[in-house]
Amino acid sequence: MNRKKGDKGFESPRPYKLTHQVVCINNINFQRQSVIGYVELTIFPSLANLNRIKLNSKQCRIYRVRVNDLEAAFIYNDPTLEVCHHESKQRNLNYFANAYAAAVSAVDPDTGNGELCIKVPSELWKHVDEMKVLKVYIEFSLDQPKGGLHFVVPNIEGSMAERGAHVFSFGYENSTRFWFPCVDSYSELCTWKLEFTVDAAMVAVSNGDLVESVYTHDMRKKTFHYMLTIPTAAPNISLAVGPFEILVDPYMHEVTHFCLPQLLPLLKHTTSFLHEIFEFYEEILTCRYPYAYYKTVFVDEAYVEVASYASMSILSTNLLHSAMIIDQTPLTRRCLAQALAQQFFGCFISRMSWSDEWVLKGISGYIYGLWMKKTFGVNEYRHWIKEELDKIVDYELRTGGVLLHPTFITGVKEKETSAPHLHFSIRHPHTLSWKYYKMFQCKAHLVMRLIENRISMEFMLQVFNKLLSLASTASSQKFQSHMWSQMLLSTNGFLKSISNVSGKDIQPLIKQWVDQSGVVKFFGSFAFNRKRNILELELKQDYTSLGTQKYVGPLKVTVQELDGSFNHTLQIEENSLKHDIPCHSKSRRNKKKKIPLLNGEEVDMDLSAMDADSPLLWIRIDPDMSVLRKVEFEQADFMWQYQLRFERDVVAQEESIHALEKFPTPASRLALTDILEQEQCFYKVRMHACFRLAKIANAMVNTWTGPPAMKSLFTRMFCCKSCSNIVKTNNFMNFQSYFLQKTMPVAMALLRDIHNQCPKEVLAFILDLIKYNDNRKNKFSDNYYRAELIDALTNSVTPAISINNEVRTLDNLNPDVRLILEEITRFLNMEKLLPSYRNTITVSCLKAIRVLQKNGHIPSDPSLFKSYAEYGHFVDVRIAALEAVVDYTQVDRSTDELQWLLDLVQNDDVPYIRHKVLSMLNKNPPFTKNTDSPLCNEALVDQLWKLMNSGTSHDWRLRCDAVDVYYALFGLSRPSCLPLPELGLVLNLKEKKTVLNPIIIPEAGACGQETVGNASVHGLISGFQINEEEHPAKDSVSVGSGVQGIKRKAETPLGSPLEPGQVLEKDEDNKVKLKIKFSNSQEDEEIDMDSVHDSQAFICHQLNILERPSTPGTETPTIENAMISMPAAPLPSLGKESSSSRHGEHHHHHHHEHKKKKKKHKHKHKHKHKHDGKDKEKDMFTFTSSPASGRSLNSPSISD
Amino acid sequence: MTTASVSDTYTPADATCRVSVENVAQKSSSSKASMSPSDNYYLARRRTLQVVVSSLLTEAGFDAAEKAAVETLTEMLQSYLSEIGRSAKVYCEHSARTQPTLSDVVVTLAEMGFNVDNIQAYAKRSQRMVITAPPVTNTPATPRALSTGQKRTHPSYIPGHFPEFPDPHTYIKTPTIREPVSDYQVLREKAASQRRDVERALTRFMAKTGETESLFKDDVSTFPLIAARTTTIPYLNALLPSELELQQMEETDSSEQDDQTDTENLALNMNSDEMSTEKENAMLQQNSGLSNSKSNEEPMIDNPYLRPVKKPKIRRKK
Repeated sequence: MNRKKGDKGFESPRPYKLTHQVVCINNINFQRQSVIGYVELTIFPSLANLNRIKLNSKQCRIYRVRVNDLEAAFIYNDPTLEVCHHESKQRNLNYFANAYAAAVSAVDPDTGNGELCIKVPSELWKHVDEMKVLKVYIEFSLDQPKGGLHFVVPNIEGSMAERGAHVFSFGYENSTRFWFPCVDSYSELCTWKLEFTVDAAMVAVSNGDLVESVYTHDMRKKTFHYMLTIPTAAPNISLAVGPFEILVDPYMHEVTHFCLPQLLPLLKHTTSFLHEIFEFYEEILTCRYPYAYYKTVFVDEAYVEVASYASMSILSTNLLHSAMIIDQTPLTRRCLAQALAQQFFGCFISRMSWSDEWVLKGISGYIYGLWMKKTFGVNEYRHWIKEELDKIVDYELRTGGVLLHPTFITGVKEKETSAPHLHFSIRHPHTLSWKYYKMFQCKAHLVMRLIENRISMEFMLQVFNKLLSLASTASSQKFQSHMWSQMLLSTNGFLKSISNVSGKDIQPLIKQWVDQSGVVKFFGSFAFNRKRNILELELKQDYTSLGTQKYVGPLKVTVQELDGSFNHTLQIEENSLKHDIPCHSKSRRNKKKKIPLLNGEEVDMDLSAMDADSPLLWIRIDPDMSVLRKVEFEQADFMWQYQLRFERDVVAQEESIHALEKFPTPASRLALTDILEQEQCFYKVRMHACFRLAKIANAMVNTWTGPPAMKSLFTRMFCCKSCSNIVKTNNFMNFQSYFLQKTMPVAMALLRDIHNQCPKEVLAFILDLIKYNDNRKNKFSDNYYRAELIDALTNSVTPAISINNEVRTLDNLNPDVRLILEEITRFLNMEKLLPSYRNTITVSCLKAIRVLQKNGHIPSDPSLFKSYAEYGHFVDVRIAALEAVVDYTQVDRSTDELQWLLDLVQNDDVPYIRHKVLSMLNKNPPFTKNTDSPLCNEALVDQLWKLMNSGTSHDWRLRCDAVDVYYALFGLSRPSCLPLPELGLVLNLKEKKTVLNPIIIPEAGACGQETVGNASVHGLISGFQINEEEHPAKDSVSVGSGVQGIKRKAETPLGSPLEPGQVLEKDEDNKVKLKIKFSNSQEDEEIDMDSVHDSQAFICHQLNILERPSTPGTETPTIENAMISMPAAPLPSLGKESSSSRHGEHHHHHHHEHKKKKKKHKHKHKHKHKHDGKDKEKDMFTFTSSPASGRSLNSPSISD
Repeated sequence: MTTASVSDTYTPADATCRVSVENVAQKSSSSKASMSPSDNYYLARRRTLQVVVSSLLTEAGFDAAEKAAVETLTEMLQSYLSEIGRSAKVYCEHSARTQPTLSDVVVTLAEMGFNVDNIQAYAKRSQRMVITAPPVTNTPATPRALSTGQKRTHPSYIPGHFPEFPDPHTYIKTPTIREPVSDYQVLREKAASQRRDVERALTRFMAKTGETESLFKDDVSTFPLIAARTTTIPYLNALLPSELELQQMEETDSSEQDDQTDTENLALNMNSDEMSTEKENAMLQQNSGLSNSKSNEEPMIDNPYLRPVKKPKIRRKK
């Protein structure tokens, strides 16, 4: 267990300690998008026989490596470049997930691994034995990096500085290895010297203190020298270079802001608030900001909105806004606050291992929450907590749980222990689905809040202070690098601090929420026992369905009675469902008395609605959200209504608004309307009430009287006194009413009449709002308001009544739709002349057009969206357009569009767009594994597989996105559209171990396959023969297999003749296993995941020899061969030739072979064949006429 | 007799006369159907002139004349007389009078090369014919459309020949007949439709002149969408407020009273703005003097990015 290990302090997985690193980038070429530089790592060996140094490096072309000025040999081996061997025909996600996890851990710095292995020259071995310092010097270059560094080079005239070209580092978790060789671990701290030589008109912003900037001799360039004396992990190193405008914060001169040219006024306004955030954090943490300087850089095409690095943050330029913008302001401030919180926890204090990440994410998220509470108020804070809670609960119940502190017991496969429900490994950050990662952060800060509930905020802050002061003491120990591990935070260290400071045992809490995944699901109902004056509460739990867990412990219940509000703490135990709660008030009504609320306030209530026998007004389960739970509580409608009107907690109000959906009655309507009108009520609650009111109005459409819901209210609040159909000229000084004014029309447009159409009155009303909108006298921009009015128009659209799928033309256009279209056209066109902030109006218009298309009012056509999705539009517009294309793909099942989207994923210049396309495809997949779709074909499977297997190796996040999409489309098992059965079963290792003869192995695989016996396999077997002769034209496949065959020949210790079956694809599936066997026989170990990793690495290593990607120097192949004791790898060219020539000869043997083998499973085949014959018949016939059909006769299924 | 002959020749000429009259009438932009008084006047004058020409012809011994000849001569005479009148008016105005005097006419005639001395003898010649005054003599009513209110008479100290005061409406604030539309609803309605019309016209124009996209394949004109154009730096347009908005903001800012804090911030920002621009200057110009003066101005700001860039050290060769 990690925790035990933590007790002993930090143990480095590396046989050396890094103390200092120099990064020098001499040249940044924007034209060619290349970078040249070197790094120098100062390391102290901690083992006497250190002869190899493993470092992380990806993409970098390494020219030379020197150790203490001696040339050193090195190998470069990155199994993550291609996760599964490209010849492999394996297509199931389980297989991939395992292979990917293995590949990632094979280079994981936290286990002491790395892509780059440097051999310490033998001359230095003595030196090493004396534990003397080694200086590892690596020259490298990057050419058009696809990850790590992002170049933004606008294609216009002028010098690079005039064009606003810039470059910045980016990545997901530890991704620094993408742009320079390093130990890419959060737990390896060292001091840094950073040097960047850039164009004289540009600025290089990086971590630490800018010591000086010096011109080069030709005066055309400048070198920026940075020193970072606080020990920092490589993943926290960053760089941004560009012709930035510089703004020194007027309140704090150590803080400097950078933005792209022309945006300085926006930058000034945007950052004018930052000093308050600083003050807040420093005050609550009673600790100064740890670094001497802080820099914020706003860049275009940012990877994420906020990325925090040591002493600097890289933010998206789209966060900048002017003083006229309302909506973006709180969002941007939140981003700034988040960035700063991560400076303390995440950058300054780093994590010990991945399983400790939750502590850092939790603390930074938690103090960010405190800042929110202070800045935006308790209502906003509680509302946010509720939102976050709902999000995590929803996610966990849907996908099966987020585990904060995964502990890995070696030898046991992860799948069986921690996360059997997920399609990815949670062992590494790089294998996580992005959504999971987001939810992980969300849960982390919620759990921190739970801890605070437990030990009080005061203690909590003391713990933080203690952690920070320990770290800052450690950081000042310049030459005692062993002390630096104090700057690393582990789960255990954190818990220890908590128990030291508070003296409380929070172990049960940690066990419940941190060591175990899942949330609690309560179902509550109650009955009032009049005789005993007791409330009989029944609380059931669902702890069997996905993502749930059982809760045992205290639970707070608040009961509002006539005489006041009373808190009760129930003990939730194993088998007690019913809880008796004594009531304080007699049910007799005392009309004159005011009713005291929880906050001491006393109010008058109209009690006529309530049950005469019961003194209960409302009941709340876990009002403080001190359990990560979902509560479904049943109480009468009047109780919800009382709760909505009189409970002062926004969470309670939200809950009751939510619950009232079930009670579409005039009383509910009245309660909601009252809330809407109440100005003291929190604006987000009122906004929520709008939508709920619309729903209720729709549910009671037959009995609804009076004008459409909200109309008279809106008129009263926002329209002119003299003429009720005309809205007042805009004045957004009061933000609450601004938000309400924005929301109400959107909600109103959801109203439907008895024909399920949006009432004419409402549509006319919204059109009038648009017509009379007048912003001339307003201090603020109305772009968001106008955008929401378009959204309102969109919401009013109902499906067209179509006769015989007639083609949509202008002539049969619905008159209402014509009006809507007119507005949209005008808005969209005006936007070209007077663009709105963040093009919000274009975004809304595009959405509206798509909705009109989808509802059959106008012809469905993706070309408009495609033109808006092009590179060169503002990113929000592109996303909106892409979303429409994704939707079109889903609805119209268009192969072309899907292909177009996937091309974008591969080729777009902006990483964020690539990520977004995949996540949208994931959210709205063109088909799922249970649906039949013409899109689902083998080519697509291959393409996606290639994408996640090798096409996205430059971006962890993107790869995981691709995995998510693959999962959404095909599920965990083999895609059903594939005709070939899968044979190689990696998991089925035991079986293989007994089989020595490699000839039998394919069979063993097949056997294992069948025993799995899930539904999808059925289809695969029968499709077998189709696959064999599948594509005779598919040269690459057969060639590849040939190489494989030869390779195996060379490797197989048995020296058995080349088996005939090798040419066939299903054999290739087994190549992985063969290698495992091979490595086994060499190492004489039991096969477990580790050896699989090794073999994976081995395979990929060989691949590297064959087709070296962008790495490394020319001399390496020979060195590799020398270093790893293995039979020489065959020359690729030879292999290819021979394979193609052999191809024809061998297939006969193969089939013979098969007959024999298949006999064992004869009956099964028959069975399956029957099962699937019908489905596959068509395919079979098409193939029998193919030139290779002769072979199909010999294929196992028929020969059986 | 001679008169009769003239009138004889005249009758058939009526048609052409009428034609020319009609032409004139058209020129004076009156309707053909009903003759306005000014047309009558014109017609009568013309007829008198024709009589004059005819009598002069008789006097010169013609028995008959072609209608075209008479017409031409009439035209000439009319031009001549008009010119005399015009010139005389000019002369009179030149000497700051409104009524021409005899001398004005004399000078005019002299100017036109007419021997004034003979005129008396000519007037008293024996065979001259006396022509009766033209039948229609009512002067055309001057269009009084613009005369509003009472014209002011000259005060006593202004001589009577000076021009009259212009119409009062040209210099006096005249009360309007209709109340301006102050009804809020109508105004808003008007403003809204005006803006909408302008926007629609503008966007239609843009759509007509540029590339468009359409939502309907069969119809490209009803809902023309200006084609999406990519820009090289998309974030600039999307983030920076437009000129219009900036202008609006200035207007509203000046009208609002609650921007004290803003100005404070602004002042502080201004400082740093100066700093950064100065810093750039310093970097570009390598002007150490400037950076010195800068540090004098703002001694408290010490930010590494504001420090001047150092010159490269001259490396000593080892």
